[in-house]
Amino acid sequence: MEPRRAAALTFALIAVGCNGRSDLTDYTQVNALVGVSGARRLSRTEYDNTLRDLLGDTTNSGFGTLPPDANDPFDNDYRTQLTSPGLVEALESLGMSAAARVVADPAKRAAVVGCAPSGPGDAGCFRDFVTRFGRRALRRPLATDEIQALLGLQSFSREQNDFYTGVKLVIQALLQHPEFIYRVEVGTPVGAVGGLYHLNSFEVATRLSYFLWGSAPPDWLLDLAAVQRLQRPEEIRSAAGRLLEDDRARARVNRFHALWLGYHQLPHSAELTRALQTETAALVNKVIFDDASDYFDLFQANQTYLNDFLADHYGLPRPGSSSFQWVSYGASGRKGLLSHGSFLSAGAKFNDTSPTQRGIFVRTRLLCQQVEPPPPTVNVDQPPTSPTSNCKADRYAAHATVGSCAACHRKLDPIGFGLERYDRAGHFRTTDDGHPECPISGDGRIDELGAFNGPAALEDLLLASGELERCVTTQLYRFAMGKQESPDEAVLIGQLATKFHGSNRSFKQLLLDFTSHETFAYRRDE
Amino acid sequence: MPSLKISRRSFLQGAGGVAVALPLLEAMVDSAPALADSLPKRYVVCFGGQSLGGDGDPLHNDYVPNIIGPNYDLKSALAPFADHNNVKNEISVVSDLWIPSAEGGPVPPGGRVDGFHVSTLSPLLSGVRSSSTRAVSNGPSSDQLMVDVLANGTTFRSLVYRIQADWYLQSSPPEGHMISYRANGSGNPIPIPPTTSPRLAFNTLFGNFTPQDPAEAARQEFELRARRSVLDLVRTSSAALLPKLGRADRVRLEQHYDEIRALENRINAIPPPQTGTCQKPDDPGADPPIGGAMYDGDGQIHYDQNLGYSDEEQRARVFCDLIRMALTCDLTRVVSLQFTTFQSHMNVYQLTGQTFDLHELSHSAGGTLEVSKGIAWHMKHFGYLVAKLRDTPEGSGSVLSNSALVFLHEGGHGRDPSSGLRYSAHSTENMACLIAGRAGGLRAGQHVVAAGMHPANVLLTAMRAVGYPEVSLGEVAGEIPGLRA
Repeated sequence: MEPRRAAALTFALIAVGCNGRSDLTDYTQVNALVGVSGARRLSRTEYDNTLRDLLGDTTNSGFGTLPPDANDPFDNDYRTQLTSPGLVEALESLGMSAAARVVADPAKRAAVVGCAPSGPGDAGCFRDFVTRFGRRALRRPLATDEIQALLGLQSFSREQNDFYTGVKLVIQALLQHPEFIYRVEVGTPVGAVGGLYHLNSFEVATRLSYFLWGSAPPDWLLDLAAVQRLQRPEEIRSAAGRLLEDDRARARVNRFHALWLGYHQLPHSAELTRALQTETAALVNKVIFDDASDYFDLFQANQTYLNDFLADHYGLPRPGSSSFQWVSYGASGRKGLLSHGSFLSAGAKFNDTSPTQRGIFVRTRLLCQQVEPPPPTVNVDQPPTSPTSNCKADRYAAHATVGSCAACHRKLDPIGFGLERYDRAGHFRTTDDGHPECPISGDGRIDELGAFNGPAALEDLLLASGELERCVTTQLYRFAMGKQESPDEAVLIGQLATKFHGSNRSFKQLLLDFTSHETFAYRRDE
Repeated sequence: MPSLKISRRSFLQGAGGVAVALPLLEAMVDSAPALADSLPKRYVVCFGGQSLGGDGDPLHNDYVPNIIGPNYDLKSALAPFADHNNVKNEISVVSDLWIPSAEGGPVPPGGRVDGFHVSTLSPLLSGVRSSSTRAVSNGPSSDQLMVDVLANGTTFRSLVYRIQADWYLQSSPPEGHMISYRANGSGNPIPIPPTTSPRLAFNTLFGNFTPQDPAEAARQEFELRARRSVLDLVRTSSAALLPKLGRADRVRLEQHYDEIRALENRINAIPPPQTGTCQKPDDPGADPPIGGAMYDGDGQIHYDQNLGYSDEEQRARVFCDLIRMALTCDLTRVVSLQFTTFQSHMNVYQLTGQTFDLHELSHSAGGTLEVSKGIAWHMKHFGYLVAKLRDTPEGSGSVLSNSALVFLHEGGHGRDPSSGLRYSAHSTENMACLIAGRAGGLRAGQHVVAAGMHPANVLLTAMRAVGYPEVSLGEVAGEIPGLRA
């Protein structure tokens, strides 16, 4: 593909240009690769994760109280984030109640404070706490005057004759601090190129941990930052590797997949939702972390993770247990993630699957193509009808006969019809719901790639297309940067996709290659 | 018992900004008649994300009364107005409204693009024509225009709340989430994300009310002092941070710091005396949990398992109670209350027993009578809010006497310009809306037919009734004849 070759070429030039050294000196080159970025507010999930890791608070209090994030499909696009009276009220209220919960729990407060006060006015212990917790909360050391200002809150401890009153107020203050709520990056201007900045080590630590954990950097990472050990790509790579050892990285990688493939919320009963999400998370963990095998195994796995309940749901053989076990797909015709009910739930409409919605989903999420919205004169709230048939295939064929609809729907509906034998919860079927007289062929096609029948064959087609590596890299980049890429950032994405391909598609390698890419410690002004 | 409330802030300004002891204030309240003109005026806009009729049903609605004028008949969509001692006597129905459509050409002034969903947002809320089916308003919404007229000095410039807790549709980006838009420095409308947590609204509105119990009051005095110190500390961090930032980030963070400063001012405001009708409401408790995703319509699956539903029944009741008391205590004079989102995918099973979401109610085969059950849920709570305001004495009347409330619906019923279907929920023909309150000579309990007029004309009537000086809202000019004495 033309763009791919161009991307690889640019990468080669840069590799030569920097002579194998990790610190680039040609900032014109790096500037061309670094994407613009801006201050990003913690998403609701990141806020809850951060409170969990800073305070041991597992209430997920932010979720129902902070304004909802716009999932499109990722929940962290900073350009859609708006401040509002409701936001600052929520942050104040959440900060107050989280701080109150911590000081009411002797074990948690001991962990947060980190020293045993000799009395309400113990200034040494208070200062230690402010200095240490301040660094964790703002993800950088506090300046002397910042520490001084927070120490002033100890007057409330003395007034109440209670050391922890002041502790509570310090927590309350830091949880509302704009540098807690927003990941602000400043950096140092570099080279003669205007608008390019090299991030300091603490900013790199924050980028790393929110990318890989969706949460605040741990103390060891801040310690590395404090001794400037997060500047060179190999240093960043080593820290990223350590972050990936933690379960929080698994949760984060799963969240990326869930938002990308649309199963973070499922329109099913709580039990089925939980079971389907468990199934898909198990495959993601297995391929990316446990086996650390070819990422394409995610779409080629011939076994899946079921309990009796979920096996019954699919009509697959029961493992004979209420706990989950790996079960072979056998001759069921299923394989990989696209056979999961989680994925197949996406895009239901009109009490049924929507071949159009599934087509849009495959094109936008898995092939990273743009699908233009229907013109404003089109009513998308009514299922297509046919004067001669009740069968879905005939009704949708009507689309193809209307001149203005045909051009788009020809690219979309046949993809959905290739999945049509799987209903919106992933059950297999051979006739339309409620219409046994309407057989479903399951034949589908992607115009530029070829024909297929069923999710397994679709997966083969997507893997053979050469597009999937590039697309998953693009989606990961969007998730990492909290925005849609601009055209010039496609070069960097191309480089990463090429490396991904060359690493036997190790997803962990992709994460490491991104974080240790020469551009990771840079930002460009908006 | 003195029931008159005066603006604390304007009173304090008159008194040189010095905090004064309660008895003096009470003394002034007792001289109520002299202050009749200074009673606060309030403006409330409500929204429900539904059209009035169902697809394919020749019945346009079961909403608009047969009787024109007073003592109108209640059809099923408005049936809850028989409750609360016939609260319909306080609510006027304005029928035969429309929003013009592009009809394949350019979008007319105050009109909409032909594709239905979210196309009504801009003309309905701001009177300015829509330019796409994206959820953007091309002008400031009526409530935020009223902020500049009414709010000066009140603790909360406006309240922006939404009852529906989530978008509920799994794999499409959220649309129709916001109904309040303020003009920024350059005059461009910026949405104001609503508060969806009743618990947060309660804390925010009444957190600084002084408890009766002296020990509690002392504890709260301490807490308020501490909050002020904390917020002051947080706000002053701007001095070190902002100069370091690039232009875009500086704007972003400045706006956040502005909101912190505004929050500080709200917390510093002296709480109103809890005398007469102004009382801290009962603690609403924790918010109901947020429900999961909703199928886009369905007839069979698991409607009783919290799918697409976060106990909006309880959320609606709490929000209405809080709004009533916020208006009574003159904490705010402007409220925007979005019941449901545009194209709402809220599951109504717990509310009406129907196995659908609101959106599918309009498009399933059930027809207009089924759609009306969904509307009636909104009306149950709107009627409750109006009745509560009616039953809250103020001056020689009630809080409702000094208020104007409007309830807007997303669409009407009739011809859909995109499909050409005659009986479609995707239509802005045969629209109707509600207006309540008696401020500015508003006539309550009427059914007014306003053929050819626009929902924005109803908003403008309500706005002018509470002091809006302009003669148009966006691109729509004029009041509805017959609505004001």
